[in-house]
Amino acid sequence: MDRAGNSKRGPTGPTLFRQIATRLAAFTLLFALLDVGIVVFTYSNQPESLAQELLTLEAEMAERSTTLAPDLLAGPPGAEHWAARYIEPNAHAPITEASRTGAPAGLLMDWTRRERIVGGYRISGVRSVVQDGQQRWLFMQFEGDGIRPYVPVIANEIVQHVILPLIPLSLILLLFNIFAVRRVLQPLRRAEAEVDALDPVNVLLRLSEAPAPREVNTLVRAVNRALTRLDETMIILRGFTANAAHELRTPLSIMQLSLDRLPPSPLREDLQADTQHLTRLVSQMLDLAQADALAVEPGTTVDLADIGREIVAAMAPKVFDAQRDLRFNAVGDTRALGHAEAIYRIYRNLIDNALAHAPGDTPIEVTAGPGPQISVRDHGPGISHEDVPHIFERFWRKDRRKTDGAGLGLGIVQRLAQAHGGAITVENAQDGGALFRVTFAAP
Amino acid sequence: MRLLLVEDNARLASLIREGLDRQGFAVDWCETVDGAEHALKINEYDLLLLDLGLPDGEGLDLVRGLRRRQDMMPILVLTARGGLDDRVTGLDAGADDYLVKPFQIPELAARCRALLRRPGASLGTELTVGNVILHSAERSIAVAGLPVEATPREVDLLECLLRRAGHVVAKPALEGALYSMDAEVTPNALEACISRLRKRLSAAGANVQIRTVHGVGYALFAPVTTHG
Repeated sequence: MDRAGNSKRGPTGPTLFRQIATRLAAFTLLFALLDVGIVVFTYSNQPESLAQELLTLEAEMAERSTTLAPDLLAGPPGAEHWAARYIEPNAHAPITEASRTGAPAGLLMDWTRRERIVGGYRISGVRSVVQDGQQRWLFMQFEGDGIRPYVPVIANEIVQHVILPLIPLSLILLLFNIFAVRRVLQPLRRAEAEVDALDPVNVLLRLSEAPAPREVNTLVRAVNRALTRLDETMIILRGFTANAAHELRTPLSIMQLSLDRLPPSPLREDLQADTQHLTRLVSQMLDLAQADALAVEPGTTVDLADIGREIVAAMAPKVFDAQRDLRFNAVGDTRALGHAEAIYRIYRNLIDNALAHAPGDTPIEVTAGPGPQISVRDHGPGISHEDVPHIFERFWRKDRRKTDGAGLGLGIVQRLAQAHGGAITVENAQDGGALFRVTFAAP
Repeated sequence: MRLLLVEDNARLASLIREGLDRQGFAVDWCETVDGAEHALKINEYDLLLLDLGLPDGEGLDLVRGLRRRQDMMPILVLTARGGLDDRVTGLDAGADDYLVKPFQIPELAARCRALLRRPGASLGTELTVGNVILHSAERSIAVAGLPVEATPREVDLLECLLRRAGHVVAKPALEGALYSMDAEVTPNALEACISRLRKRLSAAGANVQIRTVHGVGYALFAPVTTHG
């Protein structure tokens, strides 16, 4: 019954949202790497187009740095014999013009040439650049080896075709996922709230299936099936106690009534007392079993004062017969949520307890309210501090020889109070006597 | 007073019959719902004592059947079922009282008498508790055979208490009896009236006692007698 120990937010795994975000980031990275790999692979199979891109990139750099002579630019990394200069449209390119075919003489156009030399390759070509609104032709040439001179080109390609498109795409996907996950998890949160609302008081409640994704509904249905099974065991237990009650009480009745017919003798009196003790024990054990199986129908409002008057009226003749006084008092609003018969038994057991423990000539005061609470107060010796933890224990009695109860009455009260989601407290009143108080939920 | 006992346990039935016999009741006995239906058709009974779990059906079905036929015969359910919902179910079905086994014969007899004293029940026109007699037709009271002076309001009040002798009668029920006589009832009219009634009864030497149940109502108790 210790539900206070389980806090609502326990040590949990990462949130679903975080998992999705992490995975999305990982996938983006993987995809980017794959993309880079494809770019590198494609270009390494096409050195011609790599060379073309490299010269175009160098020309763009030269175009931006107007103040510097192109010769002084760094050139591609690892390049040797870097040479660059502006040439006139009709000037002869020193090395390669002869090898060009198809270009009309006197007119320059972009061209690239890659040739194998000893220990690497030589790349040369012309690009048109625009500086200060004026078109010029830039001739470039260098020698290199391996992939290193191409690094800027490849890096440029990666930035242009992998990173720039992927970053916004990932962000959009992430935002979309936050939104989607929130929406999808909505029914799960509702189900969580409903499961939290499941009390011993509310075992008749089921989770609602309504418009939730199939996966959530599967879980909801599984929980509902478990609740139904729980309910069925409760019903079986209730059925058992009802049958046990019937089977035990009939022979007890026969015993009692048969004893009454015996001629009066000390033995008859002893047997009568024993039978009464047994009867009391049996009915308390049955009451306790019923209390354990009690399911309070949610939302049933009862008036604690009405029930209090009923039990006081029912018990008063017996109490007066024992030369005792029983008083009832109602204060304020006395409505509460609960099971009328169970509350009736709470009153009855508390009054029985007061009758057993307070001296003969003192009154017993029963109060309903203010608010959803009841109390029973006697003017006996009260309850000593060290006994308080034990009085609700089943079969506990302060002095086993003196009292003839079974020690179950207060245990029944506590169980019935718990089934209501309520609590029972005991204190010693300022002017003496024990004061038992049971609180319920307000309607 | 003729009672019909419906109980499927023969030993228990014979013990109850003997016990009630000694208390001055004539008890017929049958074991089944069918038997009970048959007995009710051919005889007039003042009260039905009914066990619930019977071999051929539910005792409560018999109660419902009687009430459907507008038969207002007092019904006292005797049951071994003491479940949390059984009492309410029994009373809702139309039973007048509910007694869980095991019980003592004096307790059963007292409940029977209380039911028989109810208005409309067939205890005749005289209500007797201890040495107090109320003639309900003539609206007069006698204690130990001598007439006692009382106002109509006091007679009404005493009738209410006598009909439920041994039980607590709630204040609203008693006030209802006063209001029906006189619209101008002050808040403590009931207390005042009870106090006058007490004085009259004790002055006449009545051996009954009217006790106050604080916060609930009043109860009239018969003198303590020892039942066998």
